[in-house]
Amino acid sequence: MKKHITNIRVENEENEINLTPMLDVVFIMLIFFIVTASFLREAGLDTNRPDQDQPVTTQDEEGAILVIVDETDDIWIDNRIIDPRAVRPNIQRLHAENPDRPVVVQVSASSRAETLVTVMDASRQADVYDISIAEAP
Amino acid sequence: MRDSVSESMAEEEAEINLTPMLDVVFIMLIFFIVTAVFVKEPGILVDRPQAVTAEIPEGGSIFIAVSANNEYWIDQRSVDLAGLKPIVERMHRETPEGGVVIQADNEAQNEYVIAAMDLAKEVGIEEVTLAAVVP
Repeated sequence: MKKHITNIRVENEENEINLTPMLDVVFIMLIFFIVTASFLREAGLDTNRPDQDQPVTTQDEEGAILVIVDETDDIWIDNRIIDPRAVRPNIQRLHAENPDRPVVVQVSASSRAETLVTVMDASRQADVYDISIAEAP
Repeated sequence: MRDSVSESMAEEEAEINLTPMLDVVFIMLIFFIVTAVFVKEPGILVDRPQAVTAEIPEGGSIFIAVSANNEYWIDQRSVDLAGLKPIVERMHRETPEGGVVIQADNEAQNEYVIAAMDLAKEVGIEEVTLAAVVP
C-alpha cells in the first residue's frame, strides 16, 4: 500500500514540466520580432503610373499641367525651360488658375531620376498630389 | 517534523505559476510573427534624390534599387529586367499587402525607373513609391 502511494506521487511530480527554459526561448523570439518589426522604413514619394492599356487621352493632357523633362534634364512648362527651383511657383500658378488640373510629368528615357523626383517634389509642395508619370514618345 | 511540513508549504507558495504569463507572451509572439513584414534589402546603397515632401509609406516591403549605371538590384542580387519579374512576383506572393519601393540613384535613367514601375503594375502591385530622402 505504501509503495503504491509513493509511486503515484513520483509520477505526479514528473508530469509537471519546467516551463522556464521555454519561456526564455519565447521571450528571445518575442524581442527579436519586436525589434525587426519596424525595421527599415524608407521615405519616398507615391507614384501614379497610368495603365498601359488606357494611356492618358489627349483631352486629359490638355486639362493637365504638363511638365516635360527632356534628355538633357531641362524642365519645360508651357514651352519654356524652367529652372528647377522655379518649378514649384509655376505649378502653383497653374494650380491656382484651375485647381482641378493634375500634373503629368513626361520624362525622357535618358533623363536622370533626380530630375523626376525634383519635379514631383515641387508639385507636391505646390499642393498637387495627383501626379502621373508618362514616358516621352 | 511539524516544522518541516510548514517549510515545504512555504516553498510551494513561493513558486509563481508562469502559465498565464506564457499565454500572453505566446499571443504577443504570434501577433508579431504574423504582422512582421520581412524586408529584403536590395543589397546596394544608392544615392537617393532629395525631396522635402517625402513621407514613409504604409507598407513597403519589396525594395528594388536602380543603381547609377542602370542596374537593378533586388534581394542582394543584381538582375536584368527579365530576371526582375519572377523575383517581384515571388515576393508579392509572400507578402501580398506590401508595396514596392523603387530606390533610384540620382544618376539613374528614368527609362529604367519607369520600366520598374510598369513591372510592379504588371505584377499587380498598386502602391509604388519612389524613394527619396528628406534633406
